[in-house]
Amino acid sequence: VGPLARARISAEILVAYVELLRLVRDGDLTAMVAGARRTWFAPLPAPGEQEAHLTAVRMGRMVHRVLARLPTDKRCLITALVLLRVLAHRSIEARVVIGVRSDDRFRAHAWVEHGGRPVLPSGAFERLLEV
Amino acid sequence: MTHMTDGSWDSLRARRVTVPEHVAFRIVDEEMVLLNVRTSTYHVVDDVGARFFEVLRASPSLEAAGAELAAEYAQPADRIAADLAAFCRELERLGLIDVEAGAG
Repeated sequence: VGPLARARISAEILVAYVELLRLVRDGDLTAMVAGARRTWFAPLPAPGEQEAHLTAVRMGRMVHRVLARLPTDKRCLITALVLLRVLAHRSIEARVVIGVRSDDRFRAHAWVEHGGRPVLPSGAFERLLEV
Repeated sequence: MTHMTDGSWDSLRARRVTVPEHVAFRIVDEEMVLLNVRTSTYHVVDDVGARFFEVLRASPSLEAAGAELAAEYAQPADRIAADLAAFCRELERLGLIDVEAGAG
């Protein structure tokens, strides 16, 4: 991916972030995921299965990198939603998974899976919900 | 559909509990984790609460759930009934269960 394409994707990620952050504040998880799957740009042609997974992994890294630079909320849920939006734009179907664990204290985590495989770090969490 | 009650055991005993679609739950390390998807709020109940929740879900009425739990915990039925009514009121308030009219 060249610098121009990278800049374009970074802009796409930031636009998605700003929009989806509003939905996160509303608190309705179903609405968040539905909103993340709605893309305002014309969807790109769907890649083949293998290419789709590689793209999903690559986009996952990119979303993580771009959001890591922001001084604002970059928790796992907004990261997962932004990635879902970026993948929807590329006609790649993915799912948000919510996991929980309760060892020393209760913790929840969200990640994205494509084809049943995580494309964002899933950690050692037990699956609670898949949307 | 939720039917409002006054929350007393007499108003609840014939009713049954269902879990709405917007609630996800699972046992994690003996505790029950419940997620209200509409509010993105997590709730954790201890092992006893987890057992109450499981029995409530599986029972045709709160009265049947109360009888099963009283036998299981070897406690007087009226004490279990009071605990169960309070538990249901709290879960209903948090949007985690619906208390519906029983089959009878």
